[in-house]
Amino acid sequence: MSLWKDFNAGIVKENPVLRLMIGLCPVLAVSNNAINAFGMSVAVAFVLTCSNFVVAAIRKIVPDEIRIPIFIIVISTFVTVSDYIMYAYYPEVHHALGVFVPLIVVNCIILGRAEAFAYRNPILNSTLDGIGMSLGFALALVSIGVIRELLGAGSVFGFTLINPAVAATIMILPPGAFITIGFLMAALNKFENKVQ
Amino acid sequence: MGKIIKLGIILAVFCIISAGSLAFVYLFTQPQIELNAQLTLEKSKREVLPASGKGRAISVSPKGYSGPIDMLVGIDPQGKVSGVKILNHRETPGLGANIVRPKFLDQFKGKTLKDPIEPKKDIDALTGATISSKGVCDGVKEALRKK
Repeated sequence: MSLWKDFNAGIVKENPVLRLMIGLCPVLAVSNNAINAFGMSVAVAFVLTCSNFVVAAIRKIVPDEIRIPIFIIVISTFVTVSDYIMYAYYPEVHHALGVFVPLIVVNCIILGRAEAFAYRNPILNSTLDGIGMSLGFALALVSIGVIRELLGAGSVFGFTLINPAVAATIMILPPGAFITIGFLMAALNKFENKVQ
Repeated sequence: MGKIIKLGIILAVFCIISAGSLAFVYLFTQPQIELNAQLTLEKSKREVLPASGKGRAISVSPKGYSGPIDMLVGIDPQGKVSGVKILNHRETPGLGANIVRPKFLDQFKGKTLKDPIEPKKDIDALTGATISSKGVCDGVKEALRKK
């Protein structure tokens, strides 16, 4: 039961973007279209799940005083691995995400989960927490990406749906990200209140 | 003192493991990464040169609205522009970023040093992105002069 709870928490109840409001910087930057949002979600999911797994596995041999530098080493190793793999096999996505792949190192979702969860919980729970948080992150990021791309460029995943001439360019610029995140947070709160 | 050394050694061990695994992944992916870079460059060159493959592809980096625009300009043996391709840029999404669209770039085909190559003269600038459009014009002119 607790395993399910750990997995489930990140999706809606503790959604990293719309609830915990962490890791917003890459969210703003790469959510201007759905494809970039999806690529970023996959990279973050890989790093978050692997680093949660490793941090949980080594948590008993890591001295408390130097746990943060060790987390950073673990995280940056996985980030560099995913950066190399994307560059080698998905160069288009790598090109579009640019500097935001290396910047996953300092994404506070990943360090936050390592410190708040994986350092204190067994491997299985931590891995599930990583997958759940990744799903929550992906859900939020892709929703924002779809909304911004549709309203700002008239397309979704690159397919034109409405005439780009009537699209509101502001939606694919930074203000559009803040507006979209605000509305999504409000919608999520409304939905949760109703459920309760 | 002894504690600091102990912590240092533990940290060093983690760093060595990390460096070792990165070196391993690097060895695996590096050939593919280099191949990709080469393929992209060759493909871009083919795209900007005329079908005969003759002429020269010149790379220039004029100033755009927010940083340099790296572009490749193909010039045929008669000194006419045969194609323009944007390799890298940091222009505003939705406005300046539209410089990569063929509709804009195709305007440069057939231009020579004798043409003005200026927005509002012989080039239709992109809506809301005059500076980015001017940047691309400057790049094409620079490439023609370099030839």
